[in-house]
Amino acid sequence: MKTYKYNATQKLFRRAAKVIPCGIYGHYSPAPLVPATDYPFFTSKAKGSRIWDIDGNEFIDYMCAYGPMVTGYGNPKVDAAAQKQAKLANCVTGVPPVMVELAEYMTDLIPSADWVFFAKNGGDVTNYAVMIARAATERKKVIMVSGGYHGVSPWMQGEGHHGVMDDDKKNVLAVKWNDIPGFEKAVSDNRGEIACFISSPYHHPTFADNEFPAEGYWQKIEEICRREGILIITDDIRAGFRLHMGGSSEYFGYKSDLTCFCKAMANGYPISALTGTESLKSAASKVFYTGSYWFSAVPMAAALTNLREMKKINAPKIMLNTGKKLLDGMVKIASSYGYDLKVSGASSMPYLRITNDPSLMLHQEWCGECTKRGAYFTSHHNWFISTAHNEKDIKRTWDIVDDAFKAIKKKYGDEY
Amino acid sequence: MNYNLVKAGLNLHAILKNLEDIAEFDSEMKELTSSWNISIKFIVKGGPSATVRFSGGRCTVEPGIEGKASIILWFLSPAHLNRMFDGAANPIPLKGFTKLGFLSKEFPKLTDRLSFYLKPDDKLMTDKNYLEMNTRLTLNTAAFAVPEIIKGDPVGKKISSKIPDGTVAMRILPSFHSVNITFSSGSAVAHKGDTDKPSAVMEMKNVSLANSFLNGRTDAFTAIASGDVSIKGIIPMLDNMSLLLDRINHYIS
Ligand SMILES: Cc1ncc(COP(=O)(O)O)c(C=O)c1O
Repeated sequence: MKTYKYNATQKLFRRAAKVIPCGIYGHYSPAPLVPATDYPFFTSKAKGSRIWDIDGNEFIDYMCAYGPMVTGYGNPKVDAAAQKQAKLANCVTGVPPVMVELAEYMTDLIPSADWVFFAKNGGDVTNYAVMIARAATERKKVIMVSGGYHGVSPWMQGEGHHGVMDDDKKNVLAVKWNDIPGFEKAVSDNRGEIACFISSPYHHPTFADNEFPAEGYWQKIEEICRREGILIITDDIRAGFRLHMGGSSEYFGYKSDLTCFCKAMANGYPISALTGTESLKSAASKVFYTGSYWFSAVPMAAALTNLREMKKINAPKIMLNTGKKLLDGMVKIASSYGYDLKVSGASSMPYLRITNDPSLMLHQEWCGECTKRGAYFTSHHNWFISTAHNEKDIKRTWDIVDDAFKAIKKKYGDEY
Repeated sequence: MNYNLVKAGLNLHAILKNLEDIAEFDSEMKELTSSWNISIKFIVKGGPSATVRFSGGRCTVEPGIEGKASIILWFLSPAHLNRMFDGAANPIPLKGFTKLGFLSKEFPKLTDRLSFYLKPDDKLMTDKNYLEMNTRLTLNTAAFAVPEIIKGDPVGKKISSKIPDGTVAMRILPSFHSVNITFSSGSAVAHKGDTDKPSAVMEMKNVSLANSFLNGRTDAFTAIASGDVSIKGIIPMLDNMSLLLDRINHYIS
């Protein structure tokens, strides 16, 4: 199989590095793509499940823009709704009526939602949720899961990271995922001081196997939180609408007080949402929180159409099934070469790892080999499946996977 | 833990350690030290200690004060040691009065060379030998600073608690120089040389790129994206190690 070259990518990156910090920053930084030189950095065109880089290479995209693409790039229905709204008004003085329509739709769709607040990014609403929890409980401390990601505000980042002061983390306690005794201890050590527990519905860290809640985990957390007056904030930014259209707390069977949505809402149009229960509406209204583009109508119109479409086709089920089929096939191919490809997390956003080499180096090399053949696989982060990924993509991906394993096997023989 | 204590650890265990490579790779210094047979203990009240040994044409700098020493240098405090490294104080010799000539005339030739190599300017860096030596010493200093930062710097301690056990290899290609750092339960040990089964690897393409990278003249993200520096393995180890390395500047520049 032919492998890709990235001459234009590298050339443009050198230009970028002169005028942009890191060249490309944040989660789009090429640094965790190992080796970075096996990956495209700039995408010039996208359609359905595919992206094309500036060297003209075509990829089946298993990152879906790190989540926002959910019903296919350039989805005609979503784009038509967005364009229709764009012709009327986007960012204007006064609130677009579609905002109310979207809020009504989401409160119908999501059982735990009595109200909805819109912003742009995930971190906007995780931060807002914590502010509301603090306002409502008049408590300052926050429990989060170590390895969990909620955005880039200083309190969410790691100690010792640049720009983060000791004080920023003073009221943030970390517990391990699935560790009820640890959670109980954090609660009893800080009784009456904890405003909220913020967590993704299942644990999806980078560079590590993803973990579902153990049997009864969320129910036990719920019991402790209710007993202690601690609010549950579900960070459903990544998993939201990829497991269940009612939010992932429905999938796992617990009641969330505040839920953060973002990525799968509008198929790439910029919007996030915080939903909450009636009892927190008053606290939410008291916390001042806003942004220049938070009332833009186009993403709201896109979200309304996208969510309706997803509900109609039962998008989570499609993505879970597509993912399962793809992954089952991949695991088989891996084992035919003597490799153990471990899949964890939801099949609509799986994390993969070749366990033969615990240092991840073999896995990284294999992901790079697949990417160079046209299946964009990251090695550090869970992937994303969309409803646009189809049979043809799956078959092509299997061919690529097979050829990449062949290349790895040829290079390393039975070393692993 | 206080500032001077961490700085003293860095001076003694990361900076002074470089005498080993100067005595090996600088031909003039190699010749100078080849016949030395002497050991010097650095003892700091309420602080770290180290022993510099010259024997059989080799120099070693190791933590601790085991074994006999020809000379003992005593410092009243970590701050006192740090002032000496800044050239603003003298040690108190406790033993080795017959060797005072060596201390005042011979040994400074070596330590002056250390300062010389660690204080580059644009002109010096155009010299290939200088560039190589500066790069080698910078990599060593980084590696041996990591355990000190973890031990003494409060932020470093927190960062280290997130580093999984295993060994990080840092290599300057092609086979120019390597160091490795083994992390275990939140502490670290550094060594010069390569290692067999690292958990994470950072490879710098050549000496000159390594120099820019290690001295912060090129941005790490850019260097990695362009392939000038390649990383692989458990990347969070390298991310956290780089945060530890960034802490060095709080103490020494
Ligand atoms: C679980 C989770 N929470 C929060 C965020 C932050 O979202 P954003 O980058 O849109 O601010 C992300 C982004 O990846 C996420 O995955």
